[in-house]
Amino acid sequence: MLRYNFIYELRLLLRSRWIQLLSLLLLVLFGFSTFNGEQKVQKRRSDIAAAKQEVQESDQAMIKLLDSVERGMEVSVPYWTIPTSPMAVGNYYPRVAAMEPQPMSFVSTGQADLFTHYMKPTVSGDDFTLNFTEMSSPVQLLFGSFDLAFVIVYLLPLLIIAFTYNVLSSEKEQGSLRLLASQPISIGKWVFQKLILRFFWLSVLATFSLLATIFLVGIGPFQWGAFLSLLALTLSYMLFWFALAFLVNLFVGSSAKNAVSLIGLWVLFVLLTPSVLNQLGSKLYPMPSRTLMINKMRERKAAATERQDEILDNFLRDHPEYAINDSTQTRSFYHRYMASQEVVKEELQPIVNEYEKQLQKQQTWSKQLQWISPAIVVQESLNQLAGTSTDDYENYRGQVMGFAEVWREHFMSFLYNNQNFSQADYPGLPQFHFEQRKDKSVLTVPILLLMTIVMLCCGLLASKSLKTGKVLS
Amino acid sequence: MILKTFFKESKEVWRDGRVRIAFAIVLSLLGIAIWISARQYQNINEQHQMAETTERAIWDNQGEKNPHSAAHYGTYAFKPKYPLSLVDQGVDKYVGTSIFLEAHKRNEAQFSAAADQTGLARFGDLTPDFILLFIVPLLIILLGYNSFTKEREMGTLTLLKSQGISSWKWVMGKWMALFFPIFVLSAILFLIAGFILSNLQDFGVFNWSSLFTMFWIYTGYYIIFINIVLFISTRVKKSGIALVLSLSVWILACLAAPKAASNIAETKYPYPTRQEFAANVLKDKQGGLDGHNPWSKESKLLEQKVLAEHGVDSIHKLPFNFDAYRMQKGEEHEAEIYFKHYNHLKEQFTRQSNVYRGLAVVSPYLPTRFLSMAIAHTDYATHWDFADAAENYRIATQKFLNDNFAENSSYGEWAYRADADFWKELPDFNYDPPELRTILTNNASSLWILGTWMVVSFSILLLTSKTI
Repeated sequence: MLRYNFIYELRLLLRSRWIQLLSLLLLVLFGFSTFNGEQKVQKRRSDIAAAKQEVQESDQAMIKLLDSVERGMEVSVPYWTIPTSPMAVGNYYPRVAAMEPQPMSFVSTGQADLFTHYMKPTVSGDDFTLNFTEMSSPVQLLFGSFDLAFVIVYLLPLLIIAFTYNVLSSEKEQGSLRLLASQPISIGKWVFQKLILRFFWLSVLATFSLLATIFLVGIGPFQWGAFLSLLALTLSYMLFWFALAFLVNLFVGSSAKNAVSLIGLWVLFVLLTPSVLNQLGSKLYPMPSRTLMINKMRERKAAATERQDEILDNFLRDHPEYAINDSTQTRSFYHRYMASQEVVKEELQPIVNEYEKQLQKQQTWSKQLQWISPAIVVQESLNQLAGTSTDDYENYRGQVMGFAEVWREHFMSFLYNNQNFSQADYPGLPQFHFEQRKDKSVLTVPILLLMTIVMLCCGLLASKSLKTGKVLS
Repeated sequence: MILKTFFKESKEVWRDGRVRIAFAIVLSLLGIAIWISARQYQNINEQHQMAETTERAIWDNQGEKNPHSAAHYGTYAFKPKYPLSLVDQGVDKYVGTSIFLEAHKRNEAQFSAAADQTGLARFGDLTPDFILLFIVPLLIILLGYNSFTKEREMGTLTLLKSQGISSWKWVMGKWMALFFPIFVLSAILFLIAGFILSNLQDFGVFNWSSLFTMFWIYTGYYIIFINIVLFISTRVKKSGIALVLSLSVWILACLAAPKAASNIAETKYPYPTRQEFAANVLKDKQGGLDGHNPWSKESKLLEQKVLAEHGVDSIHKLPFNFDAYRMQKGEEHEAEIYFKHYNHLKEQFTRQSNVYRGLAVVSPYLPTRFLSMAIAHTDYATHWDFADAAENYRIATQKFLNDNFAENSSYGEWAYRADADFWKELPDFNYDPPELRTILTNNASSLWILGTWMVVSFSILLLTSKTI
C-alpha cells in the first residue's frame, strides 16, 4: 500500500505543480535570506579587519614617536598623548577586543544587530558603563532581519500549512473519500502515510535548496557538522508542524476549518507565546531602572572625587605591589584618578551585578518555559548555532570586561612606579583572544523529535477509534 | 438593498460560533495588552520623574567649583515617555533613554530596554500596536475569506444572480458587514485607551485629536485589508484557497516586507559602527581647535585674531579670561564636527526611510506603522528631535559655563571657583515633542501612500465586481 501511495502521491504532487512551486519558493526564500545573512557577516568581518588595521597603523606611529622621544628629539603631538606616559598608551592606543563571526553566523542575525562586535577598552574608562550596543537604526531592530532563521521559524510552518491543510478534507469535498474508504487501509493510516510522504518530499527539497543556496552564495568555510545540525533542527521542526497538521486533518473537518485551526496554532506558537513569555519574564524579574543607576553612579563618583587624596593613600597601602619600584614618590592627576576609579568601581559592582543577575534569571526562566513553543526553541537553537544568542553576547561582554581589567592592571604598575613606557615594553602589551562558548546544548533535536512522535502516536491511536463511517458522513 | 445584505451578513457572522470566540480572544488580548502597557507607562514615568529631580539636585549641589570642571562633570537629559506610547510602543524599546551632556563631547542616548532583555524580546511584545497591526487584519481575513466563495460553494450564487440586485450594491453590503464589527472593535479599544490616558495622574501632552487621528489611520489600514480579502474572495473558487491567498498577502505585507525592507535599507545605506563613528569624529577633532591645547596651530591663530580685534599686544591685557574664551571657541568647533557627523547619520536615516516608503507599494503595513509611531511620539524621528534638543541644551550649557569662567577670571587663573549658588541659574532642560500638525506634514508621504492604497484597492474591488 505504501508503495502505491508513494507513486500516486509523487505523480499527484508533480502534476499539481506543488513540487515545482515549493522548490522555487524554497530556493527564493533560502537564497534571499542566506544572501542577507552572509552580507551581514561580511560587513562584520571587514569592520573588524579595518579596526585591527587601524590599530596596527597607530601602533607604528606610536613606536616612531617612542623612538624619537628616546633619542631626545622634539615631537609635535600634545604632551599628554606622548606614549612614554603609560596612561597615554592605555588611553590613546587601545587594543581591539573583537568577536569574530562563526562559520554559521549567516544563519541567524539574533542579537547581532543590537550589539557591537568589537570594543577598544581604555585604562581610564568606566568598564561598567561600556556601551555594548551597536549604532543601528531602531527601525531595523524593530522590524528584524530577513534571515534564514526567520524563513525556518516563521515561513516554513506556513508553507507546511498550505501544503497539508486539506489532505483529507479535499478528498471529502471532491467526493473521492468514498472510493478511498473502499480500499484496504484505515483512514488514519492513509492520512499518516500521505503526510509522511509529503514530509519526505519537502525535506528532500529543503535539503537540496539549502545546499544549493549555501554553495551559490558562497559561504565559507563550510562545515559539515554545523550544516548537519542546522538540517536536523530544520527537519525536526518541520516534522513537528506535519504532526500538528496530521492531528488537525484527522479531527477538525472542512478545508477552511483546518486552515483556520492551523493558522490559529501558528499565531499561538510563533507570535503570541514568545511575546507573552517575554513580558512575563521581564515582569517577574524586572530590570532595575538604568536611569536610577546613573544617579547612584554619579553620587558615588562625586563622593569619591572629594576624598581623592585619602583614597590614594588607602589604595597604595592596600596595593603595595603597584609601587614596589617607585623611588620618586611623584603623585599626579592620574595617580589619584585611577585610585578613586578603582574605589568607585568596587562600590558600584553590586549595582552592576544586579543587572547581570536579573538578565541571568530571565534567561533561565525563558529556557525553562521555551518548550511551550517549539518556535522559541528552534529560534534559540539557531541563534546558538550562529553564535548570536544572548548567551554569546553575555560571554563576549564578560571577556571584554576581563580584558579591560587586564589592560588596566598592566599600566597600573607603570603608573605607580612612575616608570615610562618604552619601545621595549611594546611586545608585552596584553592582547585579546575571544573564546567561544562551550556549553552548547545538544538535546534540542531529540526532545523536539520526542514531542513530535508522541503527537503522531496519539493521532494514530485516536484514529483507530475514529469510525470510518463518521469521517464519511 | 445594501442594508439588507448588510443585515443578513451581520446576522450570519454573529451566529457563527468561531467568530464569537475569535472576537472574544482578540478583545481579551487587547485588554491584557492595554493593562500591561498602562502599568509599564506609569512605572517608567515615575522613574523618569525621580531620575530627573535627583540629577538636578546633584547638579545644583556641586558646591564651589571651576565652571569647566562642572562642564566635564556634566549632567543628564532623560527622555520622557508620552501617553500615546500606551497604544503604540514604536521603537522605544530599541533607543536609549538618557543622554550624558558633558564638555567637548556629544554622546548618544544610552541604555535601551532591548539590550537588557533576553533574545525572546526580539519576537515582539504583547502590546496594543501588535494586536492592532497584526492580529486585527488576521481577524478580518477570518471573517471575510469566504464572503463570496461560500455563495459559490453553497450554490446560492446563481440564485443571487437571478435577483435584480446590481453587483456593486451586493458587494457594498458584504463590505459593510465586514467593516462594521472591525470598526466597532477598534472604536472600543481607542475609547478605552482614551479614558485610561485622560485619567492617568500626569497625562502631559495627551490630546484626544492625536488619538482620533490614530484611530482613523488604523481604520484606513483595515479598509485596505477588507478590500483585499473581499477581492480575493470574489476572484477565487474555493474558500480554502481564498484563505491561503489572503494569508499570503498578510504574511507578505506584515512580516516579510518590513524585514526585507530593513535588510535592503541597511545594505544600501549602512550606518558606521560605533567605534568607526568615534574614530571619524576624533580624526576631525584632531585637525581643529582644541580648547585644552594652547600650543596648537589653531590656538595660536585664534590668539592673534583676538589680539588684533581688541588692539592689545598680550592676552593678559584682554578684558576676559582667554583660556575660557578659547575653551568656548573649541566647544563651538567641536559642536560643528558633531553636527556634521550626526547629519551624515540623519541623511542615511532619511535615505533608509525612502527605501521603506518605496516598499510600501507592496505593504500597507509600512505606512500605517510609521504614521502610528509618529503620532504616538515613539518613532525614530521623534528620537532624533529629542537628541537634537539635548545637543542644543548641551551647547547652551557649555556657553553658560564658559562665559562665567571668561568674565569672572583672568588669563591663567585655573584656580577660579564659581559660587555654590551659580549652578542653580542654569535653566532646566525642557523638551516638547512635535505637534500633531507638524507630524502629519512631516509624514505626508505616508498619508498619501495609505490614501492611494485605500482608493486603488477599493476601486479594483468595485470595478471587478461585475464579473463575479
